[in-house]
Amino acid sequence: MYEAIAFYLLAAVVAGSAFGCVIATNIVRMALCLLGTLGGVALLYFLMAANFLGVVQLIVYAGGTLIVIVFGVMLTSRAAGVRLRPKRSEALAGTLICIGLLAGLVTLLVRTAWPAAQSEAQAYDVAWLGNELLSTYLVPFEMVSVLLLAVMIGAAFLAQPSGKDKEPEER
Amino acid sequence: MLAIGLTHYLVLAAFLFCCGLYVMATKRNAVGILIGAELVLNAAGINLVAFSRYETGLADGQIAALFIIVLAAAEAAIAIAIFVNYYRLLGTIDPDAGDRLRG
Amino acid sequence: MSQLEVLLVIGVLIPLASFVLLAFVGARLGKPAAGWVAVLAIAASTVLATMALLQWHGMTPDQRLAAHSAPLVWAHLGAVPITFGVNLDSLTLIMFFMVTFVSTCIFVFSVGYMAGHSDEIDGVSKFHRFFAYLSLFCFSMLLLVIADSLLLLFIAWELVGLCSYLLIGYYFHKKSASNAAIKAFVTNRVGDFGFIIGLGMVFAYLGDLSLAGAAQAFRDGYAQQSALFTQHLLGVSLATWMGMLLFCGAIGKSAQFPLHVWLPDAMEGPTPVSALIHAATMVAAGVYLTARIFVLLTPEAQLFVAVIGCITLSIAALVAIVQTDIKRVLAYSTISQLGYMILGMGVGAWIAALFHLLTHAFFKALMFLGSGQVIEGCHHEQDMRKMGGLCRKMPVTCWTFLVGVLAIAGAGIPAAHFGLGGYFSKDEILAVAWHRVYGAAHGGHVGTWERGNVGTEPDTRVVLASYAQHDPGEQVVHPGHLNPEPRTLNPLLFWIPVLIAYVTPFYMMRCWWLTFMGRPRDEHVYAHAHESKLMYLPLVVLAAGTLFASYYLFRPMVAAAAPQPFLTWAYDGEAAEAAHAQGALIDHGAHRALVPIVGFAFVAGFLAAWLLYRRGLTLAERLAQTLRPLHTLLVHKFYFDELYGLVLVGGTMLVKAICYAFDKYVIDGLVNLSARVTERVSRFSGVVLDQGAVDGAVNAVGRGTWELGGLVRRPQVGRVRNYILFATGGVAVLVLWLVLA
Repeated sequence: MYEAIAFYLLAAVVAGSAFGCVIATNIVRMALCLLGTLGGVALLYFLMAANFLGVVQLIVYAGGTLIVIVFGVMLTSRAAGVRLRPKRSEALAGTLICIGLLAGLVTLLVRTAWPAAQSEAQAYDVAWLGNELLSTYLVPFEMVSVLLLAVMIGAAFLAQPSGKDKEPEER
Repeated sequence: MLAIGLTHYLVLAAFLFCCGLYVMATKRNAVGILIGAELVLNAAGINLVAFSRYETGLADGQIAALFIIVLAAAEAAIAIAIFVNYYRLLGTIDPDAGDRLRG
Repeated sequence: MSQLEVLLVIGVLIPLASFVLLAFVGARLGKPAAGWVAVLAIAASTVLATMALLQWHGMTPDQRLAAHSAPLVWAHLGAVPITFGVNLDSLTLIMFFMVTFVSTCIFVFSVGYMAGHSDEIDGVSKFHRFFAYLSLFCFSMLLLVIADSLLLLFIAWELVGLCSYLLIGYYFHKKSASNAAIKAFVTNRVGDFGFIIGLGMVFAYLGDLSLAGAAQAFRDGYAQQSALFTQHLLGVSLATWMGMLLFCGAIGKSAQFPLHVWLPDAMEGPTPVSALIHAATMVAAGVYLTARIFVLLTPEAQLFVAVIGCITLSIAALVAIVQTDIKRVLAYSTISQLGYMILGMGVGAWIAALFHLLTHAFFKALMFLGSGQVIEGCHHEQDMRKMGGLCRKMPVTCWTFLVGVLAIAGAGIPAAHFGLGGYFSKDEILAVAWHRVYGAAHGGHVGTWERGNVGTEPDTRVVLASYAQHDPGEQVVHPGHLNPEPRTLNPLLFWIPVLIAYVTPFYMMRCWWLTFMGRPRDEHVYAHAHESKLMYLPLVVLAAGTLFASYYLFRPMVAAAAPQPFLTWAYDGEAAEAAHAQGALIDHGAHRALVPIVGFAFVAGFLAAWLLYRRGLTLAERLAQTLRPLHTLLVHKFYFDELYGLVLVGGTMLVKAICYAFDKYVIDGLVNLSARVTERVSRFSGVVLDQGAVDGAVNAVGRGTWELGGLVRRPQVGRVRNYILFATGGVAVLVLWLVLA
């Protein structure tokens, strides 16, 4: 019962802020809406007994990734005020396609007979996760480490000012 | 309706997914595209955790979601770096401006 | 490795370390610190060499034998192991000592000599480079001395050649110096080419590149009459060819007759280099090599060696008479003395030749350093005609130089056993030659001599070497060269060296007198002459070595190193006991016969020089006028350079001209013909085939592609967002299709 209430509440927050992203025209507002979505998803994780994941979602996603995005917004802020709207035809096409896709997906999901759900959520502790990560999932884990290293170097390389530091050319 | 099951989560995720796609397709700001991508990734995360919660009873989904979070962070860092360069190069953040390779 | 070997190996490696150090941080050490580093290194090697020598001296023969250790196996070539090890015998030790000792003196001298030279190129001092090269040279030379296999010896041999090239060309901004360096290198290559072929023959026929192993295989091959001894090429057995080819290396390096032309030009290098490389050590390497491969020489090959030595010693001595450049006189005297050593090797005076090598190293280094002192003091004036009277300005140099002159002239009191090193060593070579020409036939039969015979046959006194390792009376078969017969040598090989023994004191005295005595002939040069302390200290040390050490230290050591079993003749004197101990040959008769023949040669030579030059150059010039053709011939060094220029360079030019004509008329004609044909064919294929058929097809394909591309191009709007929209649309269609299906 409480679970249902909590789910609907959180679902409303997540869906609402996601829709906020859709309708917002200001990029800063979009980022704010994203924060709502991310927080809601984190709470959903808690609801599904994935406690560690929820914490990570909050810290890394809401705390880290979002900050990066906000930085990105700020670094490109000269254009932030300019509200570029999509062409009407594009917006129409996008709306139609997305609604069609959503309709199709929902139909499929509802129509599918999913196996009987476990009534009780099983909470896994962090120790178990850690063991899994360093045993069964060692290879992906290591690959992700290498990836992070590559990203670190790549981001640093990409973000450095080019040698000539030429003026941005206007188009 | 009161018993929350797998379908509920999946429908929510599908909605999130479609919102993300729409954002990516229509926003004329590169950072907006990134935000859309984050929405899509979150939808995937919800799906994975929901499956692991209701379907298998194992934590595989959780670990996959963990990797998604990590990859999303990495992707965001790289994307922002690219956008900053893009902005420096073209003076705008409009993705439509970057069509130089167009034949 | 035994302690002794460790000492030697460390002694070899120290100069290498010095070289590496100087090569990398030498420029930072600067002047003169870099020089002192090299001096310190070589001095350390000298100390080690002295320790090794003393230790060796105190050992019994058994201990000496036990000091050998198995060589390192580096690789296997087929069944032949390539080994590197230390060749431990008296000769190695005494050579090691000589090289390090003389080098130390010369290094110290160099620090003084190079201090006064501006040696900057493009603003960078190459002072340290000089000492780096010197250190590398010492390393190579010491490696050559201790090498126990022909291969290792060859490696060191080439390294030595390289250092020689680098040092002769030290003033490479001078055209003449770089030319001389190239000449030395190329000339040496000619000799080394023969050496390599000889090495190949050793490898192929003897199957062992180590010195001891090759000697053993050679003896076995002789006993079994293997292919080496039975097959002939141009009427000469392969064994002889092998020996002669190996000796070719020595011809190049020791500047023997056909290849002697590089050594005088090598005087372009700094004077300490001339002293170190072109007098004391490197050129001696050829004699050392001959000594090491002596056991591989057949009697015919020995004769070849002797003839080469004889020709060299005579032409070099004759040319030296008319040279006016002080360094060139010394260079030719070096060639001449090397000729004596090679002659000694050839006639079988193994011990005497090496003895002469050691004494020569000392007095020649002494004289070269003296000349360096003179040249430096006179501000790079090398012409003796402008010197004179320098004795008052540089007394130490003058008198030490005189010691060298006396030594090279062979000054001594015959029959009293008193004299300088050169006296004993040269006399001994001549004594052996005399024996080979006129000596009484020795009684005995092949291979069965025993040590006891030495005492029991006093009238012949020509006995074979010790067979100490064999049972007395055991039948041992040896190649012919181990028992050469007396009265088998052409008398010319004795009389020419004797004649030259009169010439040597003449030109050396002429050199000394013109430089130091008489009246100053050039006031300017005379006024500036001075000597420096750092430079004359080594002179005094070397002079002392020349005066005292040579005979009593070197002679027994060399005798002890004679390969056993081995035949040699020895000088009869105080060293007789030592020689007896080694079972060496003794011939009183030879020595006695020599006294009237050459005993007073040095007096005659000195007197002649004094009479001719005591009043300056006038008398000599008048003599030169009278003997104009002869004088011209000598001044032009028998026209060897011109001959080589004509034959080698001219020959090359002729070949070039022929090749050019062939190229121009035959090849070019063919090329032009084919070009014309190609042109016609290509015109046909170009205009008709290509432009008509092929181009048409290609253009058609191109146009088709273009139009197709234009068609496909339209949806490619180039916008990321639109692509996403398209993809999403695709997925939506797919999903809806799934739903509706």
